[in-house]
Amino acid sequence: MAVEDAPAPAPATGLIGARVGRIEDARLLTGRSQFMDDLQVSRLAEAAVLRSPLAHAEIKRIDVSAAKAMPGVIDVLTGAELAPHVEPQPVIYQLLPDQRPTGALAMAVDRVRWVGQIVAAVLADDRYLAEDALQAIEVEYEPLPVVANLDAALEEGGTRLYDDWPDNIVGKVAYANGDAERAIADAAVVVSERLSLGRMLGCPLEPRGCIATWDPYTDELDIWMSTQSPHLARDLLGETLRLPGHKIRVRVPDVGGGFGNKFDFYGEEVIASVLSRRSGRSVKLLEDRLESFVATSQSRDEVIDATLALDQDGTIVALKASVYGTLGGAMGTVGVGPPWLTTTMLTSVYKIPNVAVDLTAVVTNRAPLGSFRGWGQPEANFAIERLVQLAARKLGIDSAQLRRRNFPAPEEFPFVTGVVFAYDSGRYEECLDLCLDGVREQGWHERISEARAEGRSVGLGLSFHVEATAFGPSRILNLVGLQHSGFDEEVVRIDSTGRVTVFTGQAAMGQGIETALAQVAAQTLGIDLDDVTVVSGDTTNCPYTGYGTGASRGAAMGGATLMKAAEVLREKVKRIGAHQLEAAAEDIEIRAGRVFVRGSEQHAVTLAEIGDAAYRRLNGKFPEDEDPTLEERFVFDPENLAWSYGCTAAMVEVDRETGFTTVLGYLVAHDCGTVINPTIVDGQLHGGAAQGIGEALFEELVYNDEGQLTTGTFMDYAIPTFMEIPRFDLRHMSTPAPHIPGGMKGMGEAGTIGAPAAIAGAIDDALSDLGVTVNRVPATPARLLELMQEAQR
Amino acid sequence: MKPAAFDYHRPSTVADAVGLLATIPDAKPIAGGQSLMPMLNMRLAQPAALVDLGAIESLSFIRRDNGELVVGATTTQRTLERSPEAAALPLIGAVIRHIGHPTIRNRGTVGGSIAHADPAAELPVLALALDAQLQIEGAGGSRTVPADAFFRGFLTTAVDDGELLIEVRFTVPPTGTGFGFQELARRHGDFALASVLSLVTLRDDGTVSSARIVVGGAGPAPVRVTAAEQQLLGQAPSAEVIAGAAAAVGPALQPVADVHASADYRRQVASVLTRRTLQAAVTQLKEHAL
Repeated sequence: MAVEDAPAPAPATGLIGARVGRIEDARLLTGRSQFMDDLQVSRLAEAAVLRSPLAHAEIKRIDVSAAKAMPGVIDVLTGAELAPHVEPQPVIYQLLPDQRPTGALAMAVDRVRWVGQIVAAVLADDRYLAEDALQAIEVEYEPLPVVANLDAALEEGGTRLYDDWPDNIVGKVAYANGDAERAIADAAVVVSERLSLGRMLGCPLEPRGCIATWDPYTDELDIWMSTQSPHLARDLLGETLRLPGHKIRVRVPDVGGGFGNKFDFYGEEVIASVLSRRSGRSVKLLEDRLESFVATSQSRDEVIDATLALDQDGTIVALKASVYGTLGGAMGTVGVGPPWLTTTMLTSVYKIPNVAVDLTAVVTNRAPLGSFRGWGQPEANFAIERLVQLAARKLGIDSAQLRRRNFPAPEEFPFVTGVVFAYDSGRYEECLDLCLDGVREQGWHERISEARAEGRSVGLGLSFHVEATAFGPSRILNLVGLQHSGFDEEVVRIDSTGRVTVFTGQAAMGQGIETALAQVAAQTLGIDLDDVTVVSGDTTNCPYTGYGTGASRGAAMGGATLMKAAEVLREKVKRIGAHQLEAAAEDIEIRAGRVFVRGSEQHAVTLAEIGDAAYRRLNGKFPEDEDPTLEERFVFDPENLAWSYGCTAAMVEVDRETGFTTVLGYLVAHDCGTVINPTIVDGQLHGGAAQGIGEALFEELVYNDEGQLTTGTFMDYAIPTFMEIPRFDLRHMSTPAPHIPGGMKGMGEAGTIGAPAAIAGAIDDALSDLGVTVNRVPATPARLLELMQEAQR
Repeated sequence: MKPAAFDYHRPSTVADAVGLLATIPDAKPIAGGQSLMPMLNMRLAQPAALVDLGAIESLSFIRRDNGELVVGATTTQRTLERSPEAAALPLIGAVIRHIGHPTIRNRGTVGGSIAHADPAAELPVLALALDAQLQIEGAGGSRTVPADAFFRGFLTTAVDDGELLIEVRFTVPPTGTGFGFQELARRHGDFALASVLSLVTLRDDGTVSSARIVVGGAGPAPVRVTAAEQQLLGQAPSAEVIAGAAAAVGPALQPVADVHASADYRRQVASVLTRRTLQAAVTQLKEHAL
């Protein structure tokens, strides 16, 4: 994925780079948005699903007769009835050699493998009646021994989830470069640690949902979904329901947060579609908050055994690591993707000549694992940055110095990591300094000294991260094992009034993509932002984007592709303008919706006049050799991912008597190439950092030995509130991606990646006299108190 | 998360409410609904009928009655928090502000929280520390139960089926009493992992004439730790004396373990919070003396 002949990036001037207000905010902030439950659809009925209360059991019998007789009940569907009509839920990542398929259908048929797995569905006149009927369904389960966690899954001769597998291992993969074993044996300093990250949920404020309408005469499926990936959803609906693409239309209303959770494809949309086909009704199936904890993709849940070896001067000579991914009872849409990305990104931003990393992914009786902001990268960052910190401690040198010593220099890019990836560009040392300068400017060092003098335990932690964005080069992704593409297609139209409509396959979920794309179109075409409308969320009327809106690709890929489409359209406008102004096209400029010959702006034709000439009154105003209309499309498939990076500093205070950690300061220095809208970038970094702090200190889906989720409400699953989140301090620098038109890199996941290691490092520092190492997140008060007491024993 | 069907009644007098509860099988009273509504929505509770106390105007009041602060059961927590009576008794606001968030306190009622008797809740701790008298009314008449006989276990009180808690009479502590209240919760507004309310009254000679130490969240019901209180009586509350009393708190508790903390953790932090709240109470008295 090396980059040659880097095109010069467009300068970040004008609307691109401007802190303009978000177009979607007026709608969102005044309650005029239309989320899934706001939609009005005719012939609507509401469904609810029955979920397994047991983590592992055989289904001996399901009796739905009483439920069918309940008032208002239209239909009751079981797995056995569903099975003949559907294909297994697709797994789009086939990353491991001989990866074993779990083959789960949208509904369990004869065996359940996690609490929350769907065993039946009811369609009724409303949701209340549907839930009444769920209570009347009788299911006889024969409980099976539960594989509750990683250790149980790996136990020799232990319980297996799939009878035809020899064990619970989905697959393994290993990557090596150089000779890590020998380098470790010969190294001056070696640090090893077992690092664990708890299970998490993205928790979009609006849970998932869909409304499916199956036309009984044409066999067309028209489905509204709260999704980040409408085109992927259309293709996967086609695969599972055996429908061709032209028979499926996926539309997306306003989406109340996605965080990757709504990238994945779930069984509910298949079930709603089948219920609609059986009943002739439009079927609304919303996941409620209680369901979301066991029905929406969970994430993280990794254990990493890692060893880092260094020379006496702090030069890293080798990394060896084994990653264990604890999947659920079946593979989700992205399969082993996140732990695979952990494995392949463990080398992070460092030059490591000898690397040996491997991945073992297992199934357990937990809910399926899937996409969530960060997607394996926070895990990798936690591992490598903890080791770097430990190595610095052991060597007695500053960890920033150690990092500095091992960064590739700017001129060493594209930087080949030795494990799968090549980073396009980076000025890591400058970014580190930007962060350190910020910390100094903010007076953190003085604050820490003063606090310590008062006997308080305050510490500073640092982490440096890299983020895979602008996902990604289709053919290479296919080679790696992705059963999908990564290009983007955008359509831009100037209408008969000279105003612009952008049609995008990217999905809006509150992140600001409408504004970002409008800024790109307006700047490229030389018009006002108010004169641009962005249309998204409709597979019939919007162009195809590979993948979906995830993997930090919306602004970078959508923006780059739209910029190219708009450039082509701009040339046509110039030719028309040249025709009307009797000049050469290369002398034409467009500014503020006016088309003129360079140097004589007073003699302009407006874009409105050009639009009128292109659509309505052509004669004499429109070139003979041009086709009418003003609409262009462009497809862009990047040659590489674009690699953003950042440096996070956290200042925390630990209460040694209670184990409570308070985040006092949080600073991120960041580089995501060309910034389209700094306000949106700031918001993304803030939101990600808040989720990262949740990951580091608060949030965990805890399963007990029976495979029951014990943190299944917001009472126990502790998302930090604004009371627990500090004021964020951000510093930006810009190194445009050389291979992305416009130079944008993504940054949607950055905040989540750097947080756990930075906060863990700060806790270690606050307790440095105890020699504590935070090797597991979340670092809850109870865990931290125990860690301190162990250290004092 | 849709509740099962239930009948709904909204009486305007206590007598009517008690009558409905006595005659309708499986009827439940509802006031602010901050605990019952989630249970209904999760179908963990499926009562045949709800008797809404919201229209009984006589149950919503706050008044000072000699040495008592008397609060009607359906008075919202927010109303009490912002009342002149609470302003005159800072302890009340200091405790109530730890109940959830303003939106929760806007609906949650004083009587509802005490009658629900969640062991981690704040108002039962306050009731126990202030020797509250709790007036209960049922079809069989009215009776008053002291707080130390009211809380009987996890979500269990002296209020029997068909009865209502209608009034709470908190005893106002004597002048010369300092207080400290601290709560440890994972996040602001969460249920307490442990909370401690300490009251200390000093004689003119600086020795402790009376002390109250009540722990929430560390047992099936709020716990008053008299063994620790005893250690303070007659003593000047030095750091050493306070530490000794605080150390006696943890071992006196029988907390339950849950996903957030072990029983041991709760014992440890209960002692820590006791020391800190006693210290706060004493400091408060010293500052007032200045």
